[in-house]
Amino acid sequence: MTLVTRHARPVIAAALVLTLFNLLVFAAGEAPWRALVTGLEGSLGTAYGLGQVLYKATSLAIAGAAFQVAYRAGLFNVGIEGQIALAALAAGVVGARLGWAPAWIAVPVAGGAAVGVAAGWAALAGWLRVRFGAHEVITTILQNRLADALLPLALAHGLGETGVRTRDVAASAAIPRLSVLSHALAGSAASFAVLLALVTPWLIDRWERRAKVGREVGLVGLGPEACRAAGVPVSSRLLVALTLSGAVAGLTACGAVLGYKGHYELGMTTGVGFAGIAVGLLGRGTPLGLLAAALLVGALQQTGLVLNATVPKEATDVLFGAVILAVATTGRREVTR
Amino acid sequence: MRIEARGLTKRYGDVVALDDVSAQLTEGRITALLGENGAGKSTLLRLLAGLSAPTSGELVLDGVARARVSPAEARRLGIGVVHQHFSLVPSFDGLKNLMLGDEPVGPLGVLRPGALLARAERVMRDVGLEVDLGLPAEALSVGERQRLEILRVLVRGATTLLFDEPTATQTRAEAARLYAVMRRLADDGATVAVVTHHLDEVSAHADEVVVLRRGARVFAGEARGLTTDELARLALGAAPPPVSRPPPPVDAPVVLALDALGAGRLVDVSLEVRRGEIVGVAGVDGNGQDELVELIAGLAAPARGRLSLDGAPLDGLDVAARRSRGLGVVHGDRHALGIVAGASVHDNLVLGELGGDEAARARQRLVASGASPARLDVPISALSGGNQQKVVLARALGRPLRALVVAHPTRGVDAAAAAALRARLAEVALAGCAVLLVSADLAELRALSHRLVVLCRGRVTAALPPDVDEAELGRAMLGGAAA
Ligand SMILES: Nc1ncnc2c1ncn2[C@@H]1O[C@H](COP(=O)(O)OP(=O)(O)OP(=O)(O)O)[C@@H](O)[C@H]1O
Ligand SMILES: [Mg+2]
Repeated sequence: MTLVTRHARPVIAAALVLTLFNLLVFAAGEAPWRALVTGLEGSLGTAYGLGQVLYKATSLAIAGAAFQVAYRAGLFNVGIEGQIALAALAAGVVGARLGWAPAWIAVPVAGGAAVGVAAGWAALAGWLRVRFGAHEVITTILQNRLADALLPLALAHGLGETGVRTRDVAASAAIPRLSVLSHALAGSAASFAVLLALVTPWLIDRWERRAKVGREVGLVGLGPEACRAAGVPVSSRLLVALTLSGAVAGLTACGAVLGYKGHYELGMTTGVGFAGIAVGLLGRGTPLGLLAAALLVGALQQTGLVLNATVPKEATDVLFGAVILAVATTGRREVTR
Repeated sequence: MRIEARGLTKRYGDVVALDDVSAQLTEGRITALLGENGAGKSTLLRLLAGLSAPTSGELVLDGVARARVSPAEARRLGIGVVHQHFSLVPSFDGLKNLMLGDEPVGPLGVLRPGALLARAERVMRDVGLEVDLGLPAEALSVGERQRLEILRVLVRGATTLLFDEPTATQTRAEAARLYAVMRRLADDGATVAVVTHHLDEVSAHADEVVVLRRGARVFAGEARGLTTDELARLALGAAPPPVSRPPPPVDAPVVLALDALGAGRLVDVSLEVRRGEIVGVAGVDGNGQDELVELIAGLAAPARGRLSLDGAPLDGLDVAARRSRGLGVVHGDRHALGIVAGASVHDNLVLGELGGDEAARARQRLVASGASPARLDVPISALSGGNQQKVVLARALGRPLRALVVAHPTRGVDAAAAAALRARLAEVALAGCAVLLVSADLAELRALSHRLVVLCRGRVTAALPPDVDEAELGRAMLGGAAA
């Protein structure tokens, strides 16, 4: 590829996306330029909008990190969606029963419950993979459906306040909102869980580079047969990777349940897991890339919400698909051979 | 078709893989391409086939000069490459692998394997290649896979054939048959280039020679009349010293013992290797060698029989546990079992033993390996094939060993480095290690081993002294195969 086309590609992609945006907005009967300005103002232009973007990006970055952990090992964890949902239920159920505990116990315990449940759920797929060779894409998809069925069942039979939600978590189990820092953020969903989004990808990256097990997980992803022949415990590394992927997915629930809603209700995490896969792939394996991708997708989602009044959601979804494709195709790619 | 390279240069970062190389390949002639590991042979073939673009220089194809040729164009011009690394789909049978990327379709896009099968069979008959097209590629021996790769290029009607170390995986008799194939193709007007590290093949089979050294062309001319020593001086600087077998151990205890071992192709294999002894396993590739090595390594479980190291049974122990008892293994299939291609040289040198004084170990092994460029941080895929092999061996040899099982240790390694590696194996044995050496290179087996056993159809069919006459050894290898 010549230098010119390499630099021209992002520009061309941006132009195409903008054109598509204009067409979509125009088709919806709105003035394109004004819609763009409104959308951007609503997401990035105000402190509240920014807070919302941060909130969404928090979940997306963590979910993306979860995806990447498994991806490094050559596993495609499609089950993040279900893992997050179960974790959110666990956070809600356990969080509601911690009224007796101070915050320094309640938050870690409720969060730990979320992480543990999601890790166990993912470990099941890992075990099926290493024990029976069942492909994780199939098993995790099935697990998502299973989670969809289990959640209302659990809420209806003892775990819920009503059939659709849990009781409120204890005040001590809540993660403080960022609005305690600035009034401008009042009402926004962003909480100190955003710290998790900053730390988690970075910690995982360190683990994958420095720790013996973490490095072996990456090597297994690159060449499982050669690893086995060299005495690397391949099955155990695959299991670790998928379990950890689930555990990180579970962390996502902290922002949503403990940092924002204060309870779990059916459907509140819908879509985060799947969007997290996109973020994980866009992030290209670096913590910074992951955060950038999470902010991009978060901003797109928020823009979509703002425009929702005038432009149908389907139109903005098409646009987001286009943006993600554009980013994915214009990025630098190592050419081998 | 006549191909000419004019002043080709290829750089990878600060590595100059090819330095202003000019050469030509002529119709009807077999041109041998020589040079030590990393000299740039594979790179030159890739440039000729349009698979990578030169940094500078041009190709002249059929009299037309071009700075760059696309792979599709090269294929249209009838240029076909048989790569050093195989590109077969393991689970596909031979026929499907032949079809892949060039599917024979009838009207309405229906796959028509029949015509292709007929063509493949005709080509096999015409040129004298033999491959079982009904078996999945993973069930074929390395030698058979090599022949399948060659068949794939021929079936597509290539008339300019670039072979990258096709004989590295073949016994000498098989290699001679491959050269007979090439000669028939050349006589029919094909242009043939072949990379090899076996210098004796050059004077026996090639018409012309091109020698590369550190990326530069140092010789081009007629092959006839050049002796192996002269070729060695051209390619390597000096003829490699002959290997000397370590003195045979006296009254040494048995270290590695196989007792009526059986699994898959293997039937009742019993073997003992003593302290300081080198036992050579001869046999036509695909007669159970790979299975034997995998059983001893702990990658596969035996269906019958027992295996012990220093008198203690190895059954039930995994690869890592066997290694910690002092067992070292080098598998024959470097690409599947030897290296993690996407990982760095460093990680490949300490694969399976991360942690501890890892950095020091990696550095030490890198130096011992003699690989070039001697860098730890580059991906191993940036090393030439022979240099990758040196890394694999350095990992196995870089620890104290009670027993060592090596399959094809010098496959793809240049003659000078091969001599150094063989000397290293002799040294390891002299230090008290029991060595089981599996090789397709009879000269290597005879030079190093204290005893030879012949593996045929999964059985040990003969035990012979190393100075057995080559014809008799060959008969023993085939005799069982015919039985
Ligand atoms: N993709 C790459 N990136 C960086 N360096 C490379 C790459 N491919 C080849 N090289 C370097 O180019 C040089 C020539 O490599 P090449 O594979 O052509 O050697 P070769 O003569 O075929 O050796 P061998 O006999 O071991 O197969 C080597 O130093 C190698 O490390
Ligand atoms: Mg090569």
